[in-house]
Amino acid sequence: MDKLKKFAVDYVTYVVKGSPVFYAWIAFLCLLILGLLYGTFLHATDGLRYTGLTDQVHDGLYLANFVFLVGVAAAAVTIVFPAYVYHHQALHKVAVLGEMLAIAAVVMCMLFIVSHMGRPDRLWHMLPIIGIYNIPHSMLAWDTLVLLGYLILNFVGGFYYLYKKYTGEPLNNKFYLPLIYVSIVWALSIHTVTAFLLNTLPARPMWHHSMMPIRFISTAFSAGPALIILIFLIVRTRTRLWIDNAAIDLLATIVTYCLGLALFLTLSEVVTSLYANTEHAHGLYYLMFGKHGFTDLVPWFWGSVAANIVAFVILLTPHWRKNYRLLALACVLAFSGIWVEKGMGLLVPGFIPTPIGEFTQYFPTTLEILVTLGNWAVGFFILTVLLKGAIGILLGDIRYVATTPEMATSASAGVVTAPESV
Amino acid sequence: MAAPGQVRRKHVTNKEKICNPEGGCTCAGQAPGAAAAENISSRRNFLKSTSMLSLNSLLGTAALMTMSDDAQANTAWAEWFQGNYRLMSDEEKARARARLERRYTREYGKAVTVDGTPPQEGVLMGYALNIKKCIGCRRCAKACVEENNTSRGKDQEIEWIRVLKMEKGEFSQEKMNQGYPEGLGIQVGGNAYSPAGVVMEGEHYYQPKAVPEKDSVYMPIACMQCEKPPCVKVCPVRTTYREADGPVVIDYNWCIGCRMCMSACPYWARRFNWSDPNLPKEAMNPVTHYLGNRPRMKGVVEKCTFCIQRTRKGRYPACVEACPVGARKFGNLLDPNSEVSRIIARKHVFRLKVEQNTFPKFFYFMD
Amino acid sequence: MKTTAFLLLCCVSASSVWAEPSKCFESRKGASEVKQRMIGENLPNVKCSPKTGAVLWWGDPFDGTVPMGDMPIADADYNRGKAVVKPRSDKVGLLPLCGETCHTGVLPSGFPVNKNPRQLALMHEAIALDATKLPHGRGAIWCLDCHHPKERNKLIDHRDNPVSFDQPQIMCGKCHGEVYRDWRDGIHGKRIGEWASTGTKRWFVCTECHNPHNVQHGERNRGIADHQPEPAPALPKGIKTADHERRQHGAGRH
Repeated sequence: MDKLKKFAVDYVTYVVKGSPVFYAWIAFLCLLILGLLYGTFLHATDGLRYTGLTDQVHDGLYLANFVFLVGVAAAAVTIVFPAYVYHHQALHKVAVLGEMLAIAAVVMCMLFIVSHMGRPDRLWHMLPIIGIYNIPHSMLAWDTLVLLGYLILNFVGGFYYLYKKYTGEPLNNKFYLPLIYVSIVWALSIHTVTAFLLNTLPARPMWHHSMMPIRFISTAFSAGPALIILIFLIVRTRTRLWIDNAAIDLLATIVTYCLGLALFLTLSEVVTSLYANTEHAHGLYYLMFGKHGFTDLVPWFWGSVAANIVAFVILLTPHWRKNYRLLALACVLAFSGIWVEKGMGLLVPGFIPTPIGEFTQYFPTTLEILVTLGNWAVGFFILTVLLKGAIGILLGDIRYVATTPEMATSASAGVVTAPESV
Repeated sequence: MAAPGQVRRKHVTNKEKICNPEGGCTCAGQAPGAAAAENISSRRNFLKSTSMLSLNSLLGTAALMTMSDDAQANTAWAEWFQGNYRLMSDEEKARARARLERRYTREYGKAVTVDGTPPQEGVLMGYALNIKKCIGCRRCAKACVEENNTSRGKDQEIEWIRVLKMEKGEFSQEKMNQGYPEGLGIQVGGNAYSPAGVVMEGEHYYQPKAVPEKDSVYMPIACMQCEKPPCVKVCPVRTTYREADGPVVIDYNWCIGCRMCMSACPYWARRFNWSDPNLPKEAMNPVTHYLGNRPRMKGVVEKCTFCIQRTRKGRYPACVEACPVGARKFGNLLDPNSEVSRIIARKHVFRLKVEQNTFPKFFYFMD
Repeated sequence: MKTTAFLLLCCVSASSVWAEPSKCFESRKGASEVKQRMIGENLPNVKCSPKTGAVLWWGDPFDGTVPMGDMPIADADYNRGKAVVKPRSDKVGLLPLCGETCHTGVLPSGFPVNKNPRQLALMHEAIALDATKLPHGRGAIWCLDCHHPKERNKLIDHRDNPVSFDQPQIMCGKCHGEVYRDWRDGIHGKRIGEWASTGTKRWFVCTECHNPHNVQHGERNRGIADHQPEPAPALPKGIKTADHERRQHGAGRH
C-alpha cells in the first residue's frame, strides 16, 4: 500500500513540474476549459437553447465529436495489437502511450455526451439498480457499457503496467495478458456499438446501412493512428523518449491501409445511394451537392474528401511516407478529413431532410464551438498529464526508491530497468 | 384571505437577498401586488436554479443549506430523487402528483390538477384521419398547443402536429421531351420532376390567404402511437413507454434528454425543450395528467399522447374537436361500434411508413 | 388584501395579454357563432384563435345544446339518448320572419307553390343572385326541393313533411345518402364530446359546416368554404424564409 501511495505522490510530483512551454500549454488548455465551464453553466441554467440545435437537427457538434472520438479511443488497439499479438518490439516499448490516449479519448467522449444531454443531472437514472438500464434494447445503454468498460480496461491495464515499471517488479502475465487481449476485442466493440447506435435507426435512411460499423472502424484506424503518429513525432522531438522509426512506420502503414479502405467504402456508399438516387439518398445528396438551396456542408464534404485523398497519396508513396515531415502533413490531413467526414458530415445530413421531408440547416453557435473546444481541451489536458507521467516512468525518471530497510530487497530490484519480456 | 398573504409575505422576507434576472432583487416598498407577483417569479427562478444546480453538487448544496427549511427546496429535491413513474407504487404516484399540483398551483397562480387515471380495461385508443377532407387550416396544431401546455412564443415554439402541403401535380405537353437526353427524353421524361400527390417533400410553412388552395392536398402528421414504437426501444432509461391502452407516453421527470427517441422516430413526432417552456400563466391549461400535458421542464422530450388527460376521462382529443371538416376521428379499436373501427372496416385505410415495422394506431383514410 | 390585489393584477394582465375576439365561429365563418365567457373558475367556454377567430378548444362541449331527436332511419346505429346538437334556428337571422311575415302558406297571395325554377323577389338576393341558376344541384333542384313551400321556416323531407332547421340532416340525406350514412356512423362530419360509442356527443349538423346555398368554391369544389389558415409553425433556428420549400422537388436530375 505504501508503494502505491508513493507511486501516486511521485507521479503527481513529476507531472506538475515542467518547462515554461509545458506551463504555457497547460495555461492555454485551462483558458479553453474556462470556456467549457461557462458553456456548461449556461447549459445547466437555461438548457440547450444557446446551441444551434433544433427539433429538426437535434444532434450536432457534441454528438459528432463523440462519434469521432470513440474512434480515436478505439485506435489505441493499433498499437496494442501489433505490440502484443505480433510482438512488434518498437511498439511494445510505447504501447502504454496508446492506452493513455484511449483513456483521454474516452473521457472526452463522456464529456461530449454530458454536453449533449438535456438533463445530465439525471444521469443516475441510467445506473442499474437505483435507475433503469434498458439492456438489451437500447443501443445507447450498450454504448455506455462498452465505453465504461473500455475506460476501466485501459486505466487498469495502463496503470498496472506503469506501476510495475515504477516498482521494477515483473508483470504478472496471467493477469496482464488476458487484460490486453480483452481490451483488443473491446476496442473493436466500442466503435462497432457506436456505429450500431446510428445505423439501427431506419428512420434515418442515410445511416441505415450495414457498412457503417466497418466504415467506422476503418476511419477510426486511420484517424486514430494518425493522431498517435503526430504524438510520437512530438514526443520524439520534445522529450528524451526515443520512439523507433519502426513503430511510426508500422502505424503509417496501418493508416494507409485503413484510409484506403475508408475511401473505398465512401465511394461504395456514394455509388450505391446516388445511382438510383431514391428519397433515401436525399441526405447524402444534400451533403455532397446541397439541396433546396442549402449548401453549407458541401465545401466541408469536398474538403474532407480532398484531404483524405491527398493524405492517402502521400501515405501510399513509400518515399513520401518515410519523410516524416510529409508524413506529419498526411496525418494532419487524414485526421481532420475524417473528423469532418465522420462528425458533421455523417451526423448532420442524417437529419436533413427530417423523416417527414423538411429541409433545413444546422448552424453551430459560438457557445457550442466554445464548449466543443473546451471538451477537447480537457481531453488534451488529461492526455498531456498521462503522457508526461507515462514517459517519465518509461524513461526511468519516476521509479521506486526504497526508504525503509524492510523494503530494500524488493526495491533494489526495482531500480534496475524492468525487463521488456512482456 | 389574510393567512395566505401572510405566508407569502414570509417568503418574501426569507428571500430578501435573492435576486432574479427578470425583475432584479425583491425589496420592500413595492406595491403589494407587484411584490407578490415578483415573489412568485423569484420562486420560480429559485426552483429552476435548484433543479439546475443539483447537477453541480457544490453550488446545489450551498443553495440547499441556505434554504434548508424551505418546502420548495424539498419539493425540488423530492422531484429530483423520485423514481420512474411506471414503477412507483400507487401511493408514491399519488404523492408525486400531489407534489406537482402544489408546485404548478404556486407557479401558475391557479388551481392545477395533475391526474393519474390509469388505462381503462378493454380500451385500445386509435385514430383515423381523412386525408381527402383535410383542408390544411392548422386548427388542430393550434388547439393542441392550447390543450397541451406546449411552449409558445418567439424563443421556443413547439407544435406536436405538422401539416404538410403537397401538390396535385403539374404535367405539360411542353415538357414532354425535356428530360434526358434533352430533346428525346428516352431515359428520363420531362415531366419526371413534377411532384404529385403525397410525397415526402411537402411544404411545412405554407401561408396562403385561404385554404384549401387549388391543386393542393394536405397531410397532417403527429405521433402515430405505434404498437411497436422504435422510440421506446432506443430509450436508455425506459422513460418513454407504451401504455396499456395504447398511447406512448413519457415520464418527463425521468427523461435524461439524450434525444435518441427523436432520432429513432420515423414520423418526426417528438420535440425537445431546448429551454424551460414559455407558457403564459393565463394560457396554461390547469387540467393535466402526469403522463400528458402537465408543464414540462427544460431538457426533456415531449410528444402527442392522444390527449391522455382528456381521453382517459372519456373526452375526445383536442385536435379531433378542433378540426372544422371532421377529418379527425378517434375511438376504441376494440369496440366494433367506435368511429375508428367502422372506418377501418368500411374505408380504405393506410398507415404511414409501415415498412418501418412500427404498426401505428394512426390510420389515414379517404372516402 | 394583498391576495386580492394580486388576483386583480392577474386578471387585468390576463385580459390584456389574452385579448381575443370575444365572438368566435365554431366551424366556418358565418355559421355557429359563439360568445366567449367564463363558465367556471379558470374555465372559458371556448378558446379561440387570436388570428382567425375560429374556436380551437371547448371548455364545455355541450354548452347550449339540445337533444338531436330521432333520425328517420329505423336501424340507424347511434346512441340516440346521448346525441345532442346546437339549435340552428336562432342562428339564421331572418328565419322567424320568413315563415310569419312573407310565406305563411297564405301570403304572398297568388305566388305559386310549385317547384318550377323562377326568379325570386329581391329579398333573396343575398342567398341567390339568379334563382334560375342555383349552384347547388346545377339546375337539377330548386329552392322548394329543400325548403317547405308552405312553412318557409322549415325544411322538407321526402313526404313533404316539414323538417326543423336544427335537423337539416334529415333533408340533406334525401340525396346525399352515402354521406348521410357515414355521418350517422360518425365517419363523416364533426362531433365533439365523449369518444366512446356510448358517450354523449355534440353532433355538428350539415349546415354548420357546409353552406347549402354555395356548395361550389371555384376550382376547389371541396364543399368547404375558404378558411383562413392558422399561422405557420416557427421556422427552425437560423432559417429566415421558407423559400427553400418551393424549389426543385424530387430526387434531383437523372
